[in-house]
Amino acid sequence: MNTTTVGSELYADTNFSRAEDLKLILGQGHFTADQSYPGELHLFVIRSQYPHARITRMDLSQVESAPGVKWVMTAKDIEAHGGKDLPSAPPVMTTSGKPQELNKMPVLAREWVRFVGQPIAFVVAQTYHQAQDAAELAQIEFEEHAACQNADAAKLPGATPLHASAPGNVSADFQSGDLAAVEAQFAQAQHVSHLTVRSQRLFGVPMEPRAVVAFHDPATQRTRLHTPSQGLLSMQAYLAQCSGVPESEVDIVTNDVGGSFGLRTGAYSEHVGVVIAARVLGQAVKWVGTRSEVFLSDWHARALTLNGSIALDAEGHILAIRFEDRVDVGAYNCYMSSFIWSRNLSVTMGGVYRVPALYMHSEMVYSNTTPTSAYRGAGRPDIAYAIERLMDFACHEHGLDPIATRRKNFIPVADFPYKTANGTGYDLCDFDQVMTLALKLADHGHYAERKAAASRAGKVRGLGVSTYVEASGAGTAQMDQVSGQMSAQGVLTIVGVTGPSGQGHQTSFAKIVHTELGMLEKDIRYGSAKTGTALQGNGTGGSRSLYGAGSAIKNMCVQLKAQLTVLLAAHWACQPDAVKFQNGAWVAEAATLTQPLTQPLSTTEVLALLTPTERAGLQATGEAKSGSTFPNGCHVVEIEIDPETGETAIVNYTAVDELGRVISPHLVRGQVHGGVVQGLGQAFMEQVIYDEQGQLITGSFMDYAMPRAGDLKALNNATVELGTELNLLGAKGVGESGCTGSLPALANAMMDALRPFGVDRMDMPFTPEKVWRVLHSKA
Amino acid sequence: MHRKRFAMTTVSLTVNGHLQTHPVESRTLLVEFLRDHCRLTGTHVGCDTSQCGCCTVIVNGDSIKACTVLAVQLDGAHVTTVEGLAQGDLHPVQKAFTQCHALQCGFCTPGMIMASVDLIAKNPNPSKEEIAQGLEGNLCRCTGYLNIVDAVHEAAQLMRAGSHA
Repeated sequence: MNTTTVGSELYADTNFSRAEDLKLILGQGHFTADQSYPGELHLFVIRSQYPHARITRMDLSQVESAPGVKWVMTAKDIEAHGGKDLPSAPPVMTTSGKPQELNKMPVLAREWVRFVGQPIAFVVAQTYHQAQDAAELAQIEFEEHAACQNADAAKLPGATPLHASAPGNVSADFQSGDLAAVEAQFAQAQHVSHLTVRSQRLFGVPMEPRAVVAFHDPATQRTRLHTPSQGLLSMQAYLAQCSGVPESEVDIVTNDVGGSFGLRTGAYSEHVGVVIAARVLGQAVKWVGTRSEVFLSDWHARALTLNGSIALDAEGHILAIRFEDRVDVGAYNCYMSSFIWSRNLSVTMGGVYRVPALYMHSEMVYSNTTPTSAYRGAGRPDIAYAIERLMDFACHEHGLDPIATRRKNFIPVADFPYKTANGTGYDLCDFDQVMTLALKLADHGHYAERKAAASRAGKVRGLGVSTYVEASGAGTAQMDQVSGQMSAQGVLTIVGVTGPSGQGHQTSFAKIVHTELGMLEKDIRYGSAKTGTALQGNGTGGSRSLYGAGSAIKNMCVQLKAQLTVLLAAHWACQPDAVKFQNGAWVAEAATLTQPLTQPLSTTEVLALLTPTERAGLQATGEAKSGSTFPNGCHVVEIEIDPETGETAIVNYTAVDELGRVISPHLVRGQVHGGVVQGLGQAFMEQVIYDEQGQLITGSFMDYAMPRAGDLKALNNATVELGTELNLLGAKGVGESGCTGSLPALANAMMDALRPFGVDRMDMPFTPEKVWRVLHSKA
Repeated sequence: MHRKRFAMTTVSLTVNGHLQTHPVESRTLLVEFLRDHCRLTGTHVGCDTSQCGCCTVIVNGDSIKACTVLAVQLDGAHVTTVEGLAQGDLHPVQKAFTQCHALQCGFCTPGMIMASVDLIAKNPNPSKEEIAQGLEGNLCRCTGYLNIVDAVHEAAQLMRAGSHA
């Protein structure tokens, strides 16, 4: 299989509409903050205003006696009710051979606070305003300590250590690849280049601020917890770990989720506070974060420096790539950070190239900042950015053509399956085909003319190319399972583990069933599994829902098809093996029938033929084991800078992504749009800034710039569909590829534009001010 | 020592054609009046600095961010929220949003739709540039805005065709 779908053709597919949309456009969506219980109490969080301090005295008596206050909770209360620290990924094996010593975040600060925004106490009152007003009466005394506002500051000699177990603030160091082999290649290289890039700290910014509502039923001793999640089972398991409340006593309910991007896998401090308060007080408790609060307390993203080196021979063949990374984990080890900053960063560190020797060494460093964890791409956009910037930089330093040099170094199709020098196995990719198509769609052949025209108009034009490959999520569950149950009315309800937050699970999964089983999409429902399910599987994350759960759905369809075949054979009075489902219709070999069929039946007609009891008996559990896939692509970008203002316009953006089998072209395109614009945000405007004292100074949308309508005016998008045998569907993940491909393409375009002005490196974000200064500092 | 309670004021607004009268604390924002007192939760809160536009509604014919105004300031006003838009049929803007895949998670969508309704009311034939400019006060994290701009363009076209019929 080797087909290409060009973006513009997708627009011809009219009357598109997702099943998810109707309630959302009517304002009938049900997000967590929309959930209310009569008499519900409200929780307010007292947070640290200091980046690094010891709490010397805490007097909350006036808070407790304020109007409406029901309970003021401190770390002691959390512990008394079974609460534990917040979860972390397993420790990394460090280069010294010892496992990383984790410093997990307490639900509420005990003696120390280590970042601004760290929760210290919860105030539960009858109204939100009462809780907020009461919190102002807290008398807490702090002994301030010097703070490290980022990983670089934390590594300076004499920097104050955050944790006793990490005297130099290094939480762990990690290595991958073969250092000796890399050094040998560098020793014999004709060309060597070094480039340090930063992937600056970001906020993930799902538009729905984090929220949690809990209702406890004393009669059943069960707690119902409403919260946005990426799948109920992982939220449940993490909540049980840190709240001490057994999974069997909590039902988690997630209705609509206003974006997740990796931030909503597990429970935060507020989840623990709300669930314990609801159980102890026997009343519903609600916490809805303000944007300012979630900027302080949602796990932050990126925050690392990658120091890259590349060795090339005289003809421009890559001999070795080496990275030394410094990653800011923030004040504590939370959730996915140890995994992202080891496995995810290194797994595709050779990119799309045949590289004989690879080595990465990463240092994870504590600082007095909000902990970092997963955000769209989780390490892969960072490493793709570093490799592709390094490639362009080396080509320019040594007089090589970046496009021809890329082509020369691509892993050739004949070499797949390919094992990288640090042990990652890619199944099948065709990077040459992908780049060739991207350059064609971008009309690369006429770029020089467009550049000349821009120059005549007084604009500075630049061209950037990136070729990326990423490893989508391998998953943590052993397999993905779904259960399908037909109703007597002929509606198929599928339950799986992955929970949607805008991706369109319902729409794509229904399309898979339609394709495999011939049922109409309107008769198919998808829901995320609830507590007590026997199903196992992965939540949303790592771009794997479509092919992970989707493959299980395909397997479920095979079983349902077999059941339908038997039932239909009985109705037709023939042997089951005479019944066939082909081209979306059910037929039987004519010779086997007593009465010939007038025409083949659709699945809807077959279901209508069955009795209600027969329909309701159709049930199957589908399962599939799917590991990582290797989505890849080429993004080609042209930018124009207005030298008067330093503002950059993206004037030509082409994204060609190789995603295996495309199930829902509209949704794929939507994922690419969203990912590319998140990348654009990082490249041009977004950055979380702490001042030297460790105070967050980008604490609201007033200070944290976000991409807006019109920042990207058009996107020329195409997909190449190479098969993959890594999962039953033959699909690869698309959720994060837009971020991964866009960062390096945008940055390479910016450097191409600025190179004539004597600049060969610049840290993101490329703000107008930074660009203007470069253009106007030329002598 | 304790703060005194905030004064209560009775506020009457016509919301989606229905008179809504509620006694509220004077610090109550319009968005809180709609969500907490009228139980109209289609209007969302995405920030606390009036930047995100998720709470955009139409008051006396103009789109406003419902977090920027106190309910007591609007006594007697006419408010349309996303819940009041579809009259039997979907509003053309709602139709275009779903057909153009202009929403993913849907959290910003009510605000986007209300801002777009006002934009088209004031400029029935907007260019894509004008649409992008008109939606500058509304943030979306999922879609990259391309399909949103297309949807508003499409909706304006639908509405112009409708008014000629």
